Formats: sequence, structure tokens, C-alpha cells
Amino acid sequence: MTTTMKTATSVKTTCPYCGVGCGVNLTLPHSASEAVPPVSGDLEHPANFGRLCVKGSSLAQTIQSDDRLITPIVDGHPVAWESAIKTVSAKIAQVVKDHGPDAFAFYLSGQILTEDYYVANKLAKGFIGTANVDTNSRLCMASAVVGYKRAFGSDSVPCNYEDLELCDLLIMVGSNAAWTHPILYQRIAAAKKQRPNMKVVVIDPRETATCDIADLHLAIKPGSDAAIFSFLLTDSVQAGILNDDFIANHTNGFEAALSQAKESTPSLSLTADFCGIGEQDLASLASWWRDTAKTITFYSQGVNQSSSGVDKCNAIINCHLATGRIGKEGAGPFSITGQPNAMGGREVGGLANQLAAHMDFATPGAQDLVQRFWQAPNMATKDGLKAVDLFQAMEKGKVKVVWIMSTNPMVSLPDTAQVRRALEKCELVIVSDCKAHTDTTAMADVLFPATGWSEKDGTVTNSERRISRQRGLLPAPGEAKHDWWAICEVAKRLGFQSAFSYQNVHEIFAEHAALSAFENNGKRDFDIGHFSQITQSEYDALTPVQWPVPKGRPEGTKRMFEDGYFFTLDGRAKFVAISPSLPKYQASQEWPFTLNTGRVRDQWHTMTRTGDAASLAKHTAQPYVEIHPKDAKRLGIKDKDLVRLTSSYGEALLKAKVSRAVAPDNVFAPIHWTRQFANASVVSNLIPQVVDPLSGQPESKHAQVQLEAVRDICYGLIISAVPLVLSECLYWCQVPSEQGYHYEVVWPNGQTQASLKAIDREQDKDLAENVEWLEYSNPATQQIRLAKLVDQKITMLIYMHSQPKSILADWLISKLEVNTPLSLVDRLAILVGSPANAEEKGEIVCSCYQVGSKQIEKAVSTGICSVDGLGAKLKCGTNCGSCLPELKRFVSSVVELSA
Amino acid sequence: MPSLISQPVKRRLVIVGAGMAGSKLAHDFEKAHGDDYQIVLVGEESRVGYNRIMLSSLLAKDISDADMSFVDAQKMQEDGVDIVSNDPAIKLDPKNKTLLLASGKTIKYDQLVLATGSRASVLPIKGGSAPNVMGFRTWNDVDVMTQLKGSQSVCVIGGGLLGLEAAVGLVKRGHKVVVFHRSKWLLNRQLDEESAELLLNRLTQMGIEFRLGESPESFKQADDGRVSHVVCQNGEQLTVSLVVMAAGIYPEITLARAAGLETGRAILVDDQMKTSHQDVFALGECCEFDRQTFGLVAPIWTQINVLMKVLVGEEAAFVIEPTPTKLKVSGVNLFSVGKIQPSEEDSCIFFKDVSANHYRKLVVNDGLLVGAILYGNVADGSWYFQLIQNKTNVSDMLDLLVFGEAYCCPQVA
Repeated sequence: MTTTMKTATSVKTTCPYCGVGCGVNLTLPHSASEAVPPVSGDLEHPANFGRLCVKGSSLAQTIQSDDRLITPIVDGHPVAWESAIKTVSAKIAQVVKDHGPDAFAFYLSGQILTEDYYVANKLAKGFIGTANVDTNSRLCMASAVVGYKRAFGSDSVPCNYEDLELCDLLIMVGSNAAWTHPILYQRIAAAKKQRPNMKVVVIDPRETATCDIADLHLAIKPGSDAAIFSFLLTDSVQAGILNDDFIANHTNGFEAALSQAKESTPSLSLTADFCGIGEQDLASLASWWRDTAKTITFYSQGVNQSSSGVDKCNAIINCHLATGRIGKEGAGPFSITGQPNAMGGREVGGLANQLAAHMDFATPGAQDLVQRFWQAPNMATKDGLKAVDLFQAMEKGKVKVVWIMSTNPMVSLPDTAQVRRALEKCELVIVSDCKAHTDTTAMADVLFPATGWSEKDGTVTNSERRISRQRGLLPAPGEAKHDWWAICEVAKRLGFQSAFSYQNVHEIFAEHAALSAFENNGKRDFDIGHFSQITQSEYDALTPVQWPVPKGRPEGTKRMFEDGYFFTLDGRAKFVAISPSLPKYQASQEWPFTLNTGRVRDQWHTMTRTGDAASLAKHTAQPYVEIHPKDAKRLGIKDKDLVRLTSSYGEALLKAKVSRAVAPDNVFAPIHWTRQFANASVVSNLIPQVVDPLSGQPESKHAQVQLEAVRDICYGLIISAVPLVLSECLYWCQVPSEQGYHYEVVWPNGQTQASLKAIDREQDKDLAENVEWLEYSNPATQQIRLAKLVDQKITMLIYMHSQPKSILADWLISKLEVNTPLSLVDRLAILVGSPANAEEKGEIVCSCYQVGSKQIEKAVSTGICSVDGLGAKLKCGTNCGSCLPELKRFVSSVVELSA
Repeated sequence: MPSLISQPVKRRLVIVGAGMAGSKLAHDFEKAHGDDYQIVLVGEESRVGYNRIMLSSLLAKDISDADMSFVDAQKMQEDGVDIVSNDPAIKLDPKNKTLLLASGKTIKYDQLVLATGSRASVLPIKGGSAPNVMGFRTWNDVDVMTQLKGSQSVCVIGGGLLGLEAAVGLVKRGHKVVVFHRSKWLLNRQLDEESAELLLNRLTQMGIEFRLGESPESFKQADDGRVSHVVCQNGEQLTVSLVVMAAGIYPEITLARAAGLETGRAILVDDQMKTSHQDVFALGECCEFDRQTFGLVAPIWTQINVLMKVLVGEEAAFVIEPTPTKLKVSGVNLFSVGKIQPSEEDSCIFFKDVSANHYRKLVVNDGLLVGAILYGNVADGSWYFQLIQNKTNVSDMLDLLVFGEAYCCPQVA
């Protein structure tokens, strides 16, 4: 007898999260009704060679979402695409006619694909006639772009990921790669393990997980980074490590840059003092810098999100130019982008201060070149509005139609109150998203349902210039459409049929490639002319490749500037004279704390996708603020207490995390929680709209705030079979769960059993005789715990405590699913939160294997003293490895105790 | 050859009252000091040494007569204890150290222990002494109730432990029972209102009718003197064949008082169980120590242990400790110990699962557990009792305390 087994097809695609751009194998289910099996890393992809971080590993869990936007919506009503496009086009046409093209704007995202970006950029800059095309990449790496362009004449990332493994000194500035770019971090950690002489230096005000592999951590004063590199430039002269030939033959401006550096950072001691670090530490860095030709400076948002971000980038680049440590294996200034396709956006010119294909409005001849290529009727002629300026213009009524695509400015832009005012003022807010409910879709007049990852089809470029395919594998749900399709439909309706009648996405890519090569002749760095005739089947088979890929060089380009030629008019790189400056706002009596922002290990951006994976919520379930123990003690704040942060712009309620990772008078808060997940924890509420004058990138990592414990409150946990409206809570946070709804809450004092029971507004619908309440109360500690059973099934659990208390909700949540009547023992246990004698896991450290802190502590107490030993016993850290820095701390804390 | 050594004269210990306390003391003392003592046990009932606690179970037919044995009277007699049953003591003369029995017999003693127990209170209600108004104290009382034929209407006065046990027993025997209880809720000395509510539901399901917060107005007697109706305060008249008085007990101290011993509510004793008179001791329900009287066995066993030493001149002292209460009604699990009505400085922890008939209340004071009520699931009762007795500091387990030992003292797996 034979049976025919349908073999599952595994297809290569690219991860949609960070800028590392890892290759992913996605196995399609046999039928549409089946769930997509867990993804795996693509062994052949040069970014990750099979590895995936915990976010990437959990991708399959995020494919099915209860909250997909599946139909166009106009003014709250579902409509057909035809009608929605008509509405949108008519309004754009009217506004452009009445107020000029600059009354229209795109606000795009590093999440959309290069092809989406290309048609949006083309429509705005060539056909509507406005350069108001900006993107959330403005918040991420705009300073790095301007830094590169000032130095190299082009936005060219010189290095590649191999260089990270080949270098002998890696200086990581403003990057917590262990959490934000985990696969790069793991490649670095593996390289360092193999070559222990390789040095890693972390420059970051905070002691992050990345410090785990650091030989040296410089906990600088926030924003003082540029001084370090200004000093290294002067020190390079003293140490005699300048590459005089390189400076003489391939650069301009060295003397001016050096004399400014000497003035700004005249000595080691003054520099150390400016940066708030020990002289010895700075001396160590300087000595390693002197001795190590193969040095990579790896920088990210900590450098870029600053009012002097561009200057910081150029301070770094100056050092590499002066020593000729660029265009060589294992050396260079390496900006790492945050998003999967921030680079693709840069390549098409999808920023307000770019034109197209790495040409600017100011690039001689560029406007004419692009106009001719596009056959464009209405070319924009000057820079458009950068993100913050765009929303300010919107509030002033100058921008009347905005089309927001795949991003959540209500959470990601600074000063949420201003963003709200702007969107309220804007006459037509169009939002394209795959999610129905985000803080930004809530502000929309028109919603376009977009395809999401695994449905979207096109290309992305990662931080090492590597173009990879994101493949459309699963059918789009409902009426969801690709973003490029929606843009083209609107364009056609506006009268631009011939320029936007693409049949397939590869045609867009081919046109983009053709533009990059159009009259290029080696003048522009970005040239992927090799693909300008690409066919559908070639596009489908495209393997990851690093640009430039000009005609005749299909293998692409591993490393830039190996020949010392730069894309300036005279072919020489430019030194920029830098005078280091601190963030615009400094501590005052009214706002004594300096707020730094960033990310947590297992969440991505505003949680619109990672929020769908329950396992990813376990590492960090709630929004928090890190506070130094000294400050916490002074303010009477204990770990996990609810804390109110206020600034001149707004406030946020966060849970205290008392930690020595931050310096006294400094606090840190992650950025992920939106109003979809927590009622009052949007950190961008607090951030001022301070931007770098050159790049327009907001100083999102810096705000001056006040901090206070919230008093007269009690803490709680609610698990419900149905979503709840928790308006009586001062604070609530919905923690993604496998089933049901899990809320961590804070009430004002004075709750009673009766008031808590009333949380369930549906209660009147239940027949009284089917309802049972189980109750626990301890008035002395203000504890109340309630369980509601309807027809003997748990429908709601409410726990209230006077103190913050972590109750592991997993077991309780699993009881929501139980169909048989609860045993008497379980009836008791559901008000405890765990079965008697159950092993307590503690807080989850390893998300892949769901291993918790208490299990690890227990294993360590039995004598396991290495991370490998923990892995052998508990499996923790043996999959994606994201938790290795944390595991290491468990092991080392024991060593400290026994020492 | 006759022994040249004459038997030494044994000291004589007379125990008045052959209930559980007296019988046990007689039994234990004989075992320990039988060689030196002549023990005389005097009782007014015909049956000696039975387990009075089990009367309710006997009434409820949960056990048989054979299960009632507590102390083997026959064996005791063979061992030399002189048992005088069915012959109440009527006069104690401490001066001459003699005891006069109803039969006319006079017994001399060297030491005497009064274990005369208690009697059912009879409410001052008209008709209260009618022949079909009875207490629930003795095997005899059970005999009377078991002889009640067919399905009769019975009125039980008092919703305390004894009254409820009588009511359940009578209902199980097919009678129609109404319980009057003066307080707002049942077992008001052992339970709080919420747990009493659960008990009320359960007993109502069993068929018992309750009139809470109410005492009968009067008993209406028929021509033969028997109570025919209980008259309620609202004038309603309930037909009854039998009235069981279970509205509390009072210590039986007639003999002691007549002998001039110092008494309060009961016979006053010190921590050696000594009364105001030389060589006269008191034990059990008839004694009063530190302004307390005793109705449960646990402290009385402690008193016996004290007497076992004191009577032979050794050191011992009685200390009062809280004692748990259980209701002996099958299918009703209830446990109550210590202070159950919190005062202001106490705090309470509650667990309540009404549908599962499960209720717990713990009273905590200054880090110590001082009282507990368990209803429905009493498995943790003995653990709570230990915590109270050992004065274990429970401050660190307050959040889990009410959920029981399994959560607070996890087993090492």
C-alpha cells in the first residue's frame, strides 16, 4: 500500500524586523485552514547563516491576527476599493488644485518594500509635484545618511557584516545590539569567542545587555559621544598613526577638522570630564585605537537620535578617514539601521531631502535627469518637509492631505499631543496598514487594508547594502492589497495612467534599477543597473546581493571605497570640523531627570506584530522605567511600583525597574507600548520635538522629565475570556496571551469586591443561576481575588493587591480553556494563581524554551556555573541565544557571592 | 506460708461523676497508681464510661451501641476500680472527708475529685418542665428520642452544636424538626455569619426548618401536662410531640456548693485543679479556672494529665489553650478554633466559594494566627490549629495562608 505525502514547500524570504535583514525559511501549510509552522533561519543567507533571534523565530505566531484590516474604510464605514480610491483621489486633486502640491504628503515607513517606496516617491516628486515624502526612517538613521553624505558625497555604507567578525577592535556606540540587532551581536560574540584578543568597547550611558561581551564600557554622559571621537582624532596625531597618504590623496579638510578637535577636546582629562567617564577608561580606548588598524565603529540610534547626530557621525568618520581605516577588511564607520528596509527607502530617494536613486534636488542635473527618465509632468524642485516639520506644517493647516503607510506616528514621533493636533487638523488622513486598530488608524479618515509580511512581495535592503527578496507566499486576507498597487491606483485616478500601470512588482524593481543606472557612468554610488531588464522569473529567483550591482558586475560589491574614490565632485572624502555639543535640553530644577529611550529584547516598534505573539510578551510584559536605586530610594519608589513621568509635553505611567544599569539622575524607558496595549504609557508623550538641524532627526533619546511614585493605589491582574473596557483603572496594560485577555492594572484605592465584580459589564447577560463567584480577601493587605465562573467555566479572574506583585498568569490563562468542571483543589488554586507544589518559573528569561529566572537560580544553586551548563540542563539559551547575556549574569552573580 | 509483710493501707481516691472525664481519670489513675490507691468511681447514670461525644452519631444512626464504648468499665472493675453506678452522690462532707450517696452509702476518701459535669439549661419558659421537654446529654436522652415512633414533629431549642446534632439525628430518623435559635445565625460561638449561612443552606436542604433570632414565647400544654404546641413570638402555634432543650448547659455544682466549696459559674479551681478545700479537686465541665468553664474534651484531657501528677504530689499546672470545634454531622465539614470574632486590632483573611460550599476565615493578630473558621473543606484545620498552638509567626505567608498547608509548606518533591 502506498500513501502520497504532500511535501511541504519551504520558501526563502526575509525577516521584517530589524536592519540585519536575516533570511527566513517559511514552510507553507498544506491548506489555508492550517496554521503556518514555525519558521527557521535560512542557512544560505549571508546575514544570518541560519540563525534567527527570538522575534524572528516567532514570526509564524504573528501571521494570524485577530485584528487584520480587511476592507477599505471611509469615515468609519467599509467600502469597496473603487469607492475609497475615488474619495482619496478626488480630495488630493482638489487640495493640489486649491493649495498647491505641497498640501499633500506621504509619510512612509522603513517597513514597506523598495517597490512600494519607489512608486510613492515617483508619484509625489514627479507627478503631484511635491517632495513631501518622508518616512519613519527619519527617526532612525537620517543623521547617519547626512553624515555619510557630508563625508563621502553619497549615502554609502562602507562595510559589511563580515568586517564585524574580521575586525580586531569593535567600538559600539549608542547600540544595544544584543537586543536590537541580536544576530549581528551573536556573530560578534562568536567571533570574539574564537579570537579572544578581539576587543569590544561599548559607549553607552546605560549598562545594556551588549556590555556583556565588552572589554570596556564607557558610560558616557548622554549625548557626549562626539567628544570621544574628537579626542581620538587629536590622539591619532600625537600617536603618529595618521595615514598621511590617504589624507593627502583622498580627502579634504583635515587641518580644519583637526584644529577644531584640538580646540574642543584639548586633553584626555578634559574630554573624560566632559563625557563623565574615568580618564583611565578613555586612555584604554585611545591606546586600543592607536594599536588597532582593523577597527570598526558600529553605531546606531544612540548616535543618530540626537540634536547633533550628524556631527557625531562625522566625528566618527573623521577618525576613520584620518587613519585610512576605511574601504578595508575589518575597518570602517558602520551605521546599523533599525528597520528592515530603511536602506531601500534611502535608495529610491524616499526622504524629503532626497530626489531619487541617491540623487538630491541640489545634485547638478539631477532634476532634469529624473524628469526625463520618469517623463514626469510636475517635478518637485526643492526639498520637502521632514517628519517633524511635516506634522508641524499639518497643524498649521499647510498640509491638508497625508497618506501614512505602515507606521504609527502617534507613538513613534516625539510629542504625541502635537501629532494628535496635526492629524486632527489635517483634512484627509489616509492610513494604509495591515492592522485595524493602532493609535494612528484611530486618527484616520480613510483606511486602506494592506498586505503584511508573508503576503507582501518585493525587495528590502539591509544594513550592509544587501538586497533580498521578501516573498509573497500566503494569500492576502479579505480585500487587503499591496501598498504599491494602492498608490498606483490613486495615481491612475489622478490621471497618470501610463506612468503607473505596472502589471507586476518586478516591473517596478526593474524601473528602479534602470533609474539607478540612468546616465550614471560611475558618478553615483547607487547603481543596480544589472537588474534593469530583470524578468519575472529572475526576480523570483533573486538571491541576496550587495549593491552596487552595475551592469557587468552581477556579484555586487562587498565593500565600498576600496579604491579611495568617493562620490564627491572631486572624488575626495571630506573631513568635517566638529565641535561636540550636548543635548538641547539639560536637567533643571523643574525637570531633574534625563530620560533615555530604547527597546526591549522581544518587542518590535509599536508591537503591531510582535504583540500578536504571546511568547514574546513574557520577557517584558509591561512598560517600565529604569531608575537608579539611589533615586528610587529618595523618591520612595520600589521595584514594580507605578511611576508617573511628566515633562512639559505630557506624561506617561510606567512600572519602576530599579536598576544600576542607569546612572543616578537618569532614567530609561522602552518605546513600544501604545494605547492599544496600555492606557497611559506612550513614552513619546514626553519627548520634545527637538531635531538635528541637518538631518531633521528627532532627539528621541533625550527628554528632561520629573518622576514621582503614584500614591493611594492598588495593583492587580485581570484575566478575562472577553476583552474588557477598564475605564475605572488608573493604569492598564494588556499583555498578549495565548488565549483570553490578560491585563495588568492599577486601581485607585477604595475598590471593593462589589466594584471589582462590576468590571464585567456583560454580567447582566449571564443567567444568575449559572454564575458562581469565588472570593478571597485579606483586608489587612488590601487583597481581593475573585473568580467568576459561568456554567462552571472560568470567564474572569481578578486579583488585587496593595503592593505590586508578579503573578505568573500562564497557568491561570490555561484554565480559561478548560472545559471540564474545575476540581475542588483547582477552585482553591485559581485564587492562588498556581497549583500547590508547582514549580515556580519566575520571570521568563529564555523566550524560546520559556525558562524563567527562578528555574535558573535553582539550577545555579545546585552547582551549575556556566551558561553552557544551564543550556544542557534547562535548554535555555540554546536556540536563538538572545538571552545569553542575561544567563551569563545569573552565573556571574553566584561567582561574586562566593568570592 | 502467710506473708509476714502486711499489705500497706491503700489511699482512697473517690471520683464523683462517671462521665467521660471521671471515667478516664479513674482508668488512667488505676493504670498508673493502682498499687497505691483504691479508686472509687461514683456515677448517677446506669451506664458508665461511654463516649458522650458520640451520642449525636448514635442518634443519627451513624454508629451502633457497640461503638459507644469509651472506657472499658468491666475491665476497670477487674483491675480493682470500685464502680458505683446509678447512685448519685448527694452530700459531700469535706471536714470529715466523706461522701454520702443516694442509696445511703457513705464513702470515706483521702482525696476526692468532683467530675459532676453539666446539665442542659432549661429556659424559663412556661411549661419548660413538662415531661416531653428534654435535654440532650445522656444515653438515656438518646433512648427517649429513638423510641419516638413514626414521623413526629419535634422542636429543638438552640442552634448550637448540640441542638444541631440533635436536629440532624431526629431528621434522619424521619421526624419533622424545627430549630429555634436566639442569635441571628447558627453556631454563633463557632461560626461567623457567612459560614453559618452555608451551614444553614446545607441543613435546610436536609429538611430542618429554622427560626433564627427567635425564642419560643411559651409551651402550650395538653391536659396530660405534655407540651402539645410551641407558641411562637408572632402567635403562631406549632404542633409538637417533643421539645429538645439545647440552649446551653450549666455546670452541675449542687454538691459542691452545699459542701461550702467556693464557686462562681462552676467550682473554682487553681492551676493544680484544687478547690477551696483540702484534698478536694474538680475536673471537667463542672470546674472553673481563670473565669473559664470547659465543654470540649481537649482541655479536659489536659486537666486529667495535671491531676495525674498533682494527686500523687508531683508538680503540674493547667494552662488554657484554644481548642478546635467540629460539628459531628456527617456530610457537614466544619472547623472552628480560637478567636473567630475579630476585634479592632485583628485582621481577617477570607476565602469564599459559595457554590462549592467552601469557606475559610482566618483571624490574624500581630503576625500570629489566633482563630480560624473552615467550612466545607477542613483538611487544613489541624495545621491551622498547630500554627495557633505553636504561635508560629505567619507574617511571611499571609498571602497564601488561607489556601492551606500545601501552598505554605510545599513538600520537597
